[in-house]
Amino acid sequence: MKSKLLLSLLAATLASSAMAQVKPEDAIKFRQSGYGFMAWNMGRIKMNVEGGNFNKEEVIKAANAIQAIANSGMGALYLPGTDKGKGWEETRAKSNIWTDKEKMGKVATDFVREANEMAKVAAGGDAAAVGNQLGKLSGTCKGCHDDFKAKR
Amino acid sequence: MNSKRIRLWDLPTRLFHWSLVLCVAAAVISGQVGGKWIDWHGKIGLAIVGLVAFRLAWGLLGSTYARFAQFFPTPGRIKAYLSGQWRGEGHNPLGALSVFGLLGVLGVQLLTGLVANDDIAFRGPLYDLVGNDWSNRLSGLHHLLANVLIALVVLHLAAIAFYGHVKKKKLLKPMLTGWKDDGEGESATGGGIVALVVALLFAAAAVYGASGAWLPEPPPPPPAAETPSW
Repeated sequence: MKSKLLLSLLAATLASSAMAQVKPEDAIKFRQSGYGFMAWNMGRIKMNVEGGNFNKEEVIKAANAIQAIANSGMGALYLPGTDKGKGWEETRAKSNIWTDKEKMGKVATDFVREANEMAKVAAGGDAAAVGNQLGKLSGTCKGCHDDFKAKR
Repeated sequence: MNSKRIRLWDLPTRLFHWSLVLCVAAAVISGQVGGKWIDWHGKIGLAIVGLVAFRLAWGLLGSTYARFAQFFPTPGRIKAYLSGQWRGEGHNPLGALSVFGLLGVLGVQLLTGLVANDDIAFRGPLYDLVGNDWSNRLSGLHHLLANVLIALVVLHLAAIAFYGHVKKKKLLKPMLTGWKDDGEGESATGGGIVALVVALLFAAAAVYGASGAWLPEPPPPPPAAETPSW
C-alpha cells in the first residue's frame, strides 16, 4: 500500500516534470544547436552556389533543414532571464530580445518568411535564384544579429 | 615669402586617395547592408589591402610630400603647429595625425576583417589561421572600429571644411590636380617609375597574402571520407 502510494507520487512527479518548461541551460543549448546547424546548411547552400557545380538535391536538403528549424517555434527557447547563462558556450542573446518585442517579432517573422521562400526556390533548382534568395535570407539573419546578438 | 605654384601631391598619391575614398565608402555600405553584399564587402576589403599596402610603400618611396618622414607628427612639430610656428607644405602636423590615425584604424580593420565571420555564411579568407573563438572576438572589434573609422572620416571632412572656410586654405584642389597655387616650399621630387613599380609589387604581394590563396588547400574530400547516405 505504502509502496503503491510512493509509486503514484513518483509517477506524478515525472509527469509534471515532463510538462515543465525546458531548463534554462538546456534552452540555451538547444538555441545554439539550432543556429549552429543552420550555419552548416547555409554554408552548404553557399558552396553549391559558388562552386560552379550546383547540386540541386544538396541544396534542397539544406534549405529544408533551415526551413524546419525556422518554423520550429524557437521562441519557446527564449525563457525570461536567458540573456545570461551558458549552453555550449556563453549565450550572446541580448536582453532587448525580451523588451523590444515589436522589432524582435518583425526580424523573426522576416527570417521565417525568407526561410520558407528559400525552400521554395531550392525546389525550383535554379542556381542563380538560389544565390539570390540566399542573400535575402542572410540579410534576415543579419537583421537580428545586428540588434539582438552581442558582439564578442 | 613669395608664393608660387608648386607640385604638391604626385599622381600615385592622388589615385590612391580617391580610390580609397570609393573603396571605403563601398566597404562601409556593403558591410552595413550585408546579405548578398557581404561577399562584395570581402572583395572590397582585399582591394583596400592593396591600396593601404601601396600607400605604406609609397610613404617610403614616393615623392617629397608623400613620404612619412616628411610629415611624421613628432611632439615638437605638433607643438610648433599649435603655437603657430610651423611652416611647411604638405600635411601639417595635425593633418598628419589624421593620416596616421586613418591608416592605423584601416589597418586594424583589414587585419580583423580578414579573419572575421558573420555568424551566417561569410568567413574572411584568413579565418582558418585564427579559429572560431578569435574570429568571433575580432569580428566584434571589426564592428566596433567601423564606427571609429566613420568618425575619423567625418573629422577629416570637417577639417577640410574648416580650413576652407575659416583659414581660407583650399585643400581639395591640390588633391585633385596635384598643384598648389600659393605654395611657399619647393615642388615635390622623387617617386619615379622604379619606386612606383616596387610599391605596386609590394601591394600585389599584400593582396596575395591577404587573399589566403597560399593557404594549404583543404584536402579534396578523399573517397575514404564517405558518409552515410542518410
